[in-house]
Amino acid sequence: MWVSRTVWGFADWLESKIGERGILIAFIVPAVAIVVVAQFYPLLYSFYISLVDWTLSRSTEPGDFVGLANYTKMASDSVLIQAVGRTIWFGLASTAAQIVLGFILAYLTMGETLALRVARTILILPMVIAPVAVGTIWRMMLSARVGPVNQVLRNLGIPTPDWLGDPTLAMVSIVIIDVWEWTPFVFVIFAAALSSLPSEVLKAAEVDGATPWQILRMVILPMLAPVGLLVVMFRLLDALLTLDIVFTTTFGGPGFATHTLSFWIYQQGLRYFNISYAAAISWASLIGCMLLVAGLLVWRARISRWQKEA
Amino acid sequence: MAANLSHAATSGFGPIGRRLLVVGIILLALLVTLAPFFVLFGNSLRPADEFLSDKSGLWPSQLTFEYYAAVLSANGTTFRILLNSVIVTAATTVIAVTTGCLVAYGLARLKLPFRLSTIIGLTFLIVRFYPKITIAIPYFVLMRDFGLRDTYAAVVIAHVSMTLPIVVWLMLAFFEDFPKQLEQSAMMDGCGILRRFFSIVLPLTVPAIATAALLTAFFSWNEFLFASAVGPLNAKTLPVEISGFITDKGTVWGPMSAMGTVIVLPVMVLALIAQRYLVRGLTAGAVKG
Repeated sequence: MWVSRTVWGFADWLESKIGERGILIAFIVPAVAIVVVAQFYPLLYSFYISLVDWTLSRSTEPGDFVGLANYTKMASDSVLIQAVGRTIWFGLASTAAQIVLGFILAYLTMGETLALRVARTILILPMVIAPVAVGTIWRMMLSARVGPVNQVLRNLGIPTPDWLGDPTLAMVSIVIIDVWEWTPFVFVIFAAALSSLPSEVLKAAEVDGATPWQILRMVILPMLAPVGLLVVMFRLLDALLTLDIVFTTTFGGPGFATHTLSFWIYQQGLRYFNISYAAAISWASLIGCMLLVAGLLVWRARISRWQKEA
Repeated sequence: MAANLSHAATSGFGPIGRRLLVVGIILLALLVTLAPFFVLFGNSLRPADEFLSDKSGLWPSQLTFEYYAAVLSANGTTFRILLNSVIVTAATTVIAVTTGCLVAYGLARLKLPFRLSTIIGLTFLIVRFYPKITIAIPYFVLMRDFGLRDTYAAVVIAHVSMTLPIVVWLMLAFFEDFPKQLEQSAMMDGCGILRRFFSIVLPLTVPAIATAALLTAFFSWNEFLFASAVGPLNAKTLPVEISGFITDKGTVWGPMSAMGTVIVLPVMVLALIAQRYLVRGLTAGAVKG
């Protein structure tokens, strides 16, 4: 084939020109360029935007340098302060529920029978579909009058609340939806971790007469702790920045009842075009997230060191 | 082993009661997982007048395909949006997997001073850890300045830059574990690095590439934030369109459910078929590291 001869000939010629190192460097350049242009440059640019006065609807160019004024403005933004509290509450509640449910399901579906394998595959589905679709589906599920959840409750004679329309219940509903969507993530990680536990250790514990409860508490859970912390970190980070579900179920309402941090940044930046203020809030939350990651990683390192010593 | 262990959670009941409890919990979990999909599919086939009644069952008594006809008709605006989604997803997957494979191989083989390879690898990982909303607004301004606002390119570049970390970390693990002897013997035969990479290494990493491609395609197909920020009209994708049902059009469940099904069903089917690759991709890093 003359085509392949030409291509390989060109490859050999190129290599003789720039050498093996040159080719490997050429391999690295495109991806690095994309990430720098589309991620790191905007990241730094947003820090710059947060230091100037710029409302996109009034001016197409950045205005005067205002120092930290956009940051100090946050202290008097009562919507933001409430949103932060609500977001932390949401992140902790949904992460805790997901860890517990995800672990129980992973533990109960351990095994290689066909039925269990099929069950495990189905249990993953909610996390792979689009978050906006999840929101859309659950807006129908939880609709007060004709939603299937309330239809079932009505048939059982249980009072039917207005899940998404009631100011106190709306945030609980968002937690329920987030738990439905992301328990599969915790589940799939724990299922993989459980199946990779060294079977000799488990056998040894069993031979020594440990009850299944003891094996779970004293062998399995400690061995899963490092993975567990990693899962907590991923889930907390994502939960603190959840946008899609709020966007497609309550759109922040009723009133401000489900305004989360991300939703407020989105509103400020892409709806009101207060991009300087939005950038300031997002940089503040970025620093918060980084501190959280650092804290959890230090904690994880301490746990694994402690385990090695024990 | 596993069967014994799963008894632990229910010790306290008799052996049969225990087993029933375990099976019951799993069945309940499956029901809770699948019921919302069932409702979505049902509503996408339900005639309009049935939505108004709170007496209508969970599954429609009559089926209509009119919403699908509207979504899939070649003259409609929705079909254009569906096409946008396909184009953005395909382009993102091809570009992210290609550039991701190249950079991972480069980082795995290149000996740079000051452990620069590791540092570059780690900087890719950083992308996973900051709030994407921080980038969304400046990215929007950047694309406006480039004159790329509302183009496929703006959405695709954003998606590629967000999926590259996943691809790089999946492939890096593969290339580092790749048996060195294979490449060395080819080198003895006078194969240059390009020939070794394309004719020896790459064909053997097809499973990893499939995993990376699957995760990338799912991400791009589902992504909402950047698509809505930089592709509001001409490059509008399905997730952006479906999010519009709540704000400006009131609640139109039938068409909304049909569009939801079009978004969800391909991913579901692929996830079930390629389950093994998917799980490998989702758990990579978390379990080993």
